[in-house]
This record gives sequence, C-alpha cells and structure tokens, in this order.
Amino acid sequence: MKSLWQDLRYGFRMLVQNPGFTAVAVLTLGLGIGANTAIFSVVNAVLLKPLSYANAERLTMAWENNLAKGWSSFAVSPANFLDWQKQNHVFDPLVAFLNSGFVLTGQGEPEMLSGMQTTDGFFRLTGVEPALGRAFRGEEFEAGKNRVVILSHALWQRRFEGSPEVLDKAVTFSGESYTVLGVMPKGYRIPQGADLLAPLTLTPDMLSHRGSHYLVAMGRLKPGVTLQQAQSEMSGIATALAKQYPNTNTGWNANLVPLYEEIVGEVRPALLALFAAVGFVLLIACGNVTNLLLARGASRQKEIALRAALGAGRIRIIRQLLTESMLLALAGGAIALLVGQWGVELLRALQPANLPRMQELGISSSVLLFTFALSLVTGLVFGSAPALLISRSSLSETLKEGGRGSGSGGRHRLKGALVIAQVALSLVLLVGAGLQIRSFLHLMEVDPGFDSTNVLTMGVSLPDTKYTDAERQTAFIQQALENLKALPGVKSAAAVSTVPLGDSDLIYSLVVEGRTVPKGQEPSANWYSVSPDYFQTLRIALVRGRVFTEHDDSTAKRVAVINESLARRIFPGEDPIGRQIRMGINSQAVREIVGIVKDVKHYALESRFTMQMYEPYRQQTRDSMVFLLRTDTDPASLTSAARRAIFSLDKEQPVSEARTLEELVSASASQRRFNTLLIGFFAVVALVLAAVGIYGVVAYSVAQRTHEIGVRMALGAQKRDVFSLVLRQGMVLVVTGVILGLAGAMALTRLISQLLFNVSALDAATFLSTPLLLAAVALLACYLPARRASRVDPMVALRYE
Amino acid sequence: MPTNASNQSLIRMEGLTKVFYTDEVETHALSGVHLEIRAGEYLSIAGPSGCGKSTLLSILGLLDSPTDGTYLLKEKPVQGLDMAERARIRNREIGFIFQSFNLIGDLTVFENVELPLTYRGTKSAERTKKANEALEKVGMAHRARHLPSQLSGGQQQRVAVARALVGDPMMLLADEPTGNLDSKNGDAVMELLRGLHRGGATICMVTHDPRFARHADRTVHLFDGRVVEETMEVVS
Repeated sequence: MKSLWQDLRYGFRMLVQNPGFTAVAVLTLGLGIGANTAIFSVVNAVLLKPLSYANAERLTMAWENNLAKGWSSFAVSPANFLDWQKQNHVFDPLVAFLNSGFVLTGQGEPEMLSGMQTTDGFFRLTGVEPALGRAFRGEEFEAGKNRVVILSHALWQRRFEGSPEVLDKAVTFSGESYTVLGVMPKGYRIPQGADLLAPLTLTPDMLSHRGSHYLVAMGRLKPGVTLQQAQSEMSGIATALAKQYPNTNTGWNANLVPLYEEIVGEVRPALLALFAAVGFVLLIACGNVTNLLLARGASRQKEIALRAALGAGRIRIIRQLLTESMLLALAGGAIALLVGQWGVELLRALQPANLPRMQELGISSSVLLFTFALSLVTGLVFGSAPALLISRSSLSETLKEGGRGSGSGGRHRLKGALVIAQVALSLVLLVGAGLQIRSFLHLMEVDPGFDSTNVLTMGVSLPDTKYTDAERQTAFIQQALENLKALPGVKSAAAVSTVPLGDSDLIYSLVVEGRTVPKGQEPSANWYSVSPDYFQTLRIALVRGRVFTEHDDSTAKRVAVINESLARRIFPGEDPIGRQIRMGINSQAVREIVGIVKDVKHYALESRFTMQMYEPYRQQTRDSMVFLLRTDTDPASLTSAARRAIFSLDKEQPVSEARTLEELVSASASQRRFNTLLIGFFAVVALVLAAVGIYGVVAYSVAQRTHEIGVRMALGAQKRDVFSLVLRQGMVLVVTGVILGLAGAMALTRLISQLLFNVSALDAATFLSTPLLLAAVALLACYLPARRASRVDPMVALRYE
Repeated sequence: MPTNASNQSLIRMEGLTKVFYTDEVETHALSGVHLEIRAGEYLSIAGPSGCGKSTLLSILGLLDSPTDGTYLLKEKPVQGLDMAERARIRNREIGFIFQSFNLIGDLTVFENVELPLTYRGTKSAERTKKANEALEKVGMAHRARHLPSQLSGGQQQRVAVARALVGDPMMLLADEPTGNLDSKNGDAVMELLRGLHRGGATICMVTHDPRFARHADRTVHLFDGRVVEETMEVVS
C-alpha cells in the first residue's frame, strides 16, 4: 500500500513536470472518453434505463396486423379490442387508448390539448397512481359519467398554477364540463406526451364498425405467461374472429410487441452504430496516447534502467508505469465528464423529434460509473503495451548508451502497428459516415410530390358539441379559408384533413364499382378531405382530368381525385377517369373519379408512395383540419395574423402550433440528419486523430533517425531521396491500414445496411472516395516531417552523435 | 616524394576560414588555411582536439562551407554550388569513413555498401556487382547478409570502408577511422587504407594519433585553426 502511494506520488510529479505531454494526453483522452460519455448517456437513457413502470418487461403492445396489405402493426378496432379483452387469459389488464383533442376554454386563452382516453385498467397497467386526487373508478367509464379528467403535472402547473383546489372543480373541455379528479406525479409522462387522461367509453356506435381500426392497445402479461404463449392465444382469438366476422376480419391477426421494443426497437441499430463509432474514436485516441507514452518511454530509458539497476523488478516497474497511465486516464476521465456534459447539451439541441426517451437524457450515476470504468479500461489499454516494452529494455545496453534514447525494434513495430490500426479504424468510420452522408443526400433529393417552400400549416380541431354537424364544420372551414386568403402576403390557402409528413392518415378499403374482390383482399388507400385550392397551394401536379372546384359541394355529385400509384395499381391499362369507387366495404356512397394527381409522400421522405385518394371537404369533411397558407414572404411571419383570422370566427377555437411545411419535411429527415451529423463528426475526429497519430509517429521517427539521415546525405542522398524515404515509410503504414480498413468496412457496413437509404452498403463511390480522402490527409501528415527530414543539415546530423 | 601522388591537383584551398557564431561569441575554427591535395596522395591531418581537423574535413567533404577563402575541387570553385550539386559531388567524388562507422542499423551489410550507388541511380545488377567487389576488397563478403549490430567494431569499420570505396570516389575522407577501435583492429584498418593507397586511392585522414599519421605520405599539423607544420614521410 505504501509503495502504491509512492507510485501515485511519483506518477503525479512526473505528469506535473511534463505539462506539455500531460496536457496533450489528457485532452486526447478527455475528447475520446467524453464522446463515449455523451453517446452512452443517450444509449443509457434510450436503451438501457428500465421503463418507468413496475415490471415493465411484462408490458406488451397488442396490435392488429394484415400482412397481405403490408401492415405489421396496425391500430385495433374497438369491437375486436372488446373481444380480445373478454376472451384472452394472458393479459391482466388489457387496455385501449385513443388520442383525442381536448380544447380547454374558460381558463384564459383557449388551448388545444392532447388528451389520452383510456379504457378501465390504465393505473393497474402502468402501476402509476395520481400524485394528487384519485384514479378513475369503474363507473366513470360508463356513458354519461365519463366527463372526468386527470391532469398531467405539467398541465396542472402551466394552466392551473399548481393549485390543489383544482380537484373536483369543473373545467370546460371542448365545450363540455369535466371534473378534475387528480394530477399525475411530477416527471411522469402520460403515453404520447398527452396533457391529460380521460376515460374511454366504447359506445355502441364505435362497436358497430368492426372494420374501423383506431385504438392503441396495451396489456400486462400475467405472471408466468410468455410472449409466445400470449401471441399464440391472441392469434387464436383473431382467427376465430375472422371466421365469425369474415366481412371485416378476414386477413387480420394479432401482433404482440413488448413495450420496450415498441419504443426503442427502431432506433436501436442507429444508436448502437453511433456507440460503435465513438468506441472507434476512443481506440484511435488510445493509439495516440500509446505512441506518446512510447516516445516518452524512449527518453526515460535511462531512468528505468537506473531503477532496475537499483533493484526494482520488472513487475514493480510495470506497476509504476501503469500507475502513471491510470493517473492520465483518470484525469482524462475528469475532462471527459465536462466534454460529456457539453455533448449532452449538444445532443439535446440536435435531438430528432422521433428519438424516444430523450427527456431522460443526462449525466446520471450510471453515466458517471460508465465514465469511471471506461477511464480505467482506457488506462489499461493505452498503458499496458508501453509499460511492457519499456520495462523490457536491456539494462547494460541502455546504461552504456549514456542515457541517449534509442527506439527498440519492438517499440518501432508497435508504433507502426498502432498507425495501421488507427488508419484502418478511421477508414471504417469514414466509410460509415460516407454511406450515411450519401443516404442523407439521396433523401434530400427525394421529390415529396409537393412544394414545401413558403407554406405555413396550422390545425384546428372543431369540438362536436359546438360544431355538431358537417354543415357547421364546413361553414367554419370555408369562412376561415376566406379570412386566411384575405391576409396580405398570402398567395393561396387550402385545408386538408392530414398534412403531408404530419399526423397519421386515415386509410379506407377501396371498392371499385363493378368489380368483385375476395373478402379481406380489398385494396386500401390513404384518404384525404381537401379544399379545392389544396393541389394548387401545395403545387401537386395534375396528371389528368380535373381537380376540385367550389361547385363540388354537398349538393353536387360526389367526386374523388386519385394519385398515380392508385391509378396504376387499381386500374392498370384502364382509364380511371369516370370510374366509380366506394370507400369502406360497407359504404354506399359512390364517388366518381374526376382527376389523377402526382404521388405525395405522406408518411416519411424515405417511405414508398402509397395509394391516395382525395375528396372535397364540402362532400366529406372532418372535425380536424389543417390550414395551409402559401405565402410570398417568410411563412412564419404570418403566424400571428393567421391565428387572429381564425380567432375572429370563434374566440374559443384554439389553433394548434403553427409550423412551416419545410419544418415538417426537415423533421421527417431529423433522425437521419442526427445520425449523419454525429457519425460524420466522429469520422472527422477520427481522421484528425489518425492524422495526428501518423504525424507523431513519422515525426518521432525522423527525430530518432536524424543521425542516419545525416549519414545518408553525407553519402550523397539528395533532398528528394530523404523526402521520399520518410514519405514512403509513413505511406506504407497508411496503405496497409487502408487495405485492412477497407476489408473491415466491407464486413461492418453490411451491419448498418438497414440504416441506409438508396445506397448500397458496398457503394463503390464511397469505397473509392473515402480511402482517397484518408490517404490525402495521411500524405499531408507525412509530408511535414518528410520535408523537415529533407532539410536536415548533414553536418548538424553527424554532430548529433 | 609521395609514392603514388601525381602532379594533378585534386583540391586546392587558399586562405580558408571558418567562423562559428554562438550567441555573441565568435569561434574561429579555421583561420587562413592553405592546403593542396594531389591525386593519389595519402594525406594526414593531425593536431590536438579542437584544433579544427574535423571542421577542415567537413569542408573538404562538402558537408560544410567555409566562411571565407577559396576551395577548388578539380580546379573548380565549390562556393556557390547548390545543395543538390554538393550532394551529387559527395556521392560521386568522395568516400566518407567515419570514426563511429555510421552504418545504418536497419540495413544489412550489403545494403549499407550499395547505398551510395542507390543514390546515384545505378542499376540493380551493377550495384550488386560493385557492392560485392567492395566487400571482397575489405574481406567482408562473407558477412553481406548480416546486420551491423552483428559485427565487431573492426568489421563494421571495414564495411564502412567498403561503402566509401564502392562508388570509385576521387578521394576517401577518413575522420579518426581508428578512434573507436582497439589497437589490433585499428592497425588492421590502417593497413587496409594503406593497401587502398597503394592501389592508387587518394586518402585524406584526420587523426590525432601520431602513430597512425605516419602511415600517410604527408601530414599537415593544425593548431588553433592554422596549419603550423607539414611533414613528409620519406620512403626508404
């Protein structure tokens, strides 16, 4: 223990006495470990931290699926849910959710809130109880008794000033009076970030439409029940329902997905790829610190030999050297916490909209422990080889040399191997980053089918208590559009039921008049209710026929416009114009197709075009519509004026957050942008570190070989001979590293192929350009010491001895 | 008279001065040195430590430049030659033998010997032939594949002599060639140089040991950077 203390004191003194070496090593390690700390904090928050529910591993999403239509996880119909709930023996409880808009009025400015309606059992399912007040009671799920809500802590603070007196008070939502029963705990996030919870009553009307799927279901597996057992039973129930209700349930099954998988499944590969990338950066940083230690070890050879001469065993010397490495690593770890904290702030600022659980991001105790452990492992990684090699020096030779440092063969070989490894790792990262960047560029080149520039979007959700029928809803939309069109700077205005790349779409089965299709095999298409100017406002090109006009109202013949994908797939070789279709297998209303428009990306830029059909909003309106304003100035600057234009119609009608269409397009690419930015950044850091490593090794070698260079020049070597000698020495290592790196990249990029878009994992352009970039940087790193070597004065070099 | 020396002047130095400046201190390493070396001559430069012997040899070998004075190599002034031309002359006209051998540790004996030819651009086959011949000449052919660290000091110096000879230089410059050798190996190397001289080589050797200086035809004595005496060996 006493000798360890001595080692620590001596190690500390050595580091203080060599401030330049210590600063470079600690900063390199701080950067490498810090980047790992930052990314681990994301991995920890998103992937590792247990979900904030009791026995969360038993929480399971229960979806419907229809594989024939390509839907692996689809919303559940209320009638099917009720049958599942009654017939299953594997869940306790099984609960359905419905996300609904709640318009808060009578409390100052009206506000559109997100409400989560839930069937009975929510609190048993999640294991979370209100912090204030009480949970719902069984009878409060019955029609007429369900006007009760439980507020999120954030809503309670924001709109009710955190007053406990709000309990049992009546609050008006969407024109109806609700009683506040409770407030959820601080920090608890209601599913989908909703502002409040309300009971979901499955009304006879809802249950009568078995083919309408819009509920989200989640259950808690009973103790001892496995996912496979539950899946088997639920599939059995679904099969029975399909036999019982062939019109609506043919082709439908149940699909159970663990909640954890549901939340993080999609982002896991990207996060693990980032974690691997940042691990590579640390390994490259370790390579540089190892090289620094080897260079410093050469100058300490005499000191080490003297220690040995005085009786220190090899183990004792290794311990001394490792203690110094550990001190460096721990100092690097301390810097890493700062770097990690900055990294976390940066990641928060960069976070894509669809990265889950980011609100839990931070430097937690697990992150601290990870950083500490990583620092120790890093110390061992970069410190072991130098300690072993330096402690192996020949005692007599070193002392005879009079203390002049000279590199051993082992040290030279290790340095060369480190450079090769650094180049190889950097190239793998560069290729990965190159593929991501090319994917992102391809994504940015995707034509979404509409022009997103200078378009403002804002939504309204009209409460059915006030806008009780389609006529009132249509009148509001029509008047609002007139007000919006009259605003200065607005070139055109339109309304649509769901904006492209915005909310989830409605999907209907499509029935073509005169055709018979086997049950369950009806085609389905995304459906939109639009105002006549919609296509013009979004500049969606008309291919054939016509778009809607003001004459397409409730008194006129029902019409529809379809997109090219639908025309191609449903009417191959036929002219769809004039054909009649129905939406929904039980619908009687027939629409005549009057036009074909270009395809539009509705889900995501990287998704395929779906079949789409449009109806005039005055023939089929929705209570929730989104206004679109094409402007000739910055669309965001019209937000206030547009809000006022809608408020002037109804002072109690809130408008959802205004966003530009470009923001929606940008958000659609945010996850990929996030990954590309980070992996690109890490690749650049890796490249710089590798270049520094190459420079360090070649420059050190030049310094060590000054005398030899002098001899060569005395023998008649020209400057170019020496220059090419040094350059060749460095580039041989680089080329070896590039070959290994390419092999590694070919093996590893296959693992990220699912993260790529329109780019092969073996994309030739990336595999050609990145080695060239790396070689160019490496050449520059070798060029500087090579130039210095070529300027060696042979006289000075020979005196060097 | 020197046994092999001709009347052809290889090197002529007149009023050669070399001043080193360190901070504000001027050190006159050489002051007005006049020296002529003829083809086939074996010249020894002797003098105590710090008298300027090695500086003179460096200037002779175009590793350094004089501060003042004239240096004619084959009647052509060397002042004003650029670095590349100096390197070319060192490679083709001069063979260096250093006190500490200065073999390159990573290269084999053979590779060390062929190095000057490599810089000259000589083709591989010819390089091999000449390097082997040079090694034969110094009796080290059997060690061609060895590394310098595997040789004794005397053997290393023989290899260094082979390297100096390989390019058929106009002159060999030897800086204390026996300084790092024991007397037996020292004698052997001196005998080797003597043999080369007998074969027609021009040799200029720096030594502080009068015993070895006597091997030369003529000895120039330096003291404080000046030529203070010249002695000739009488051939009996």
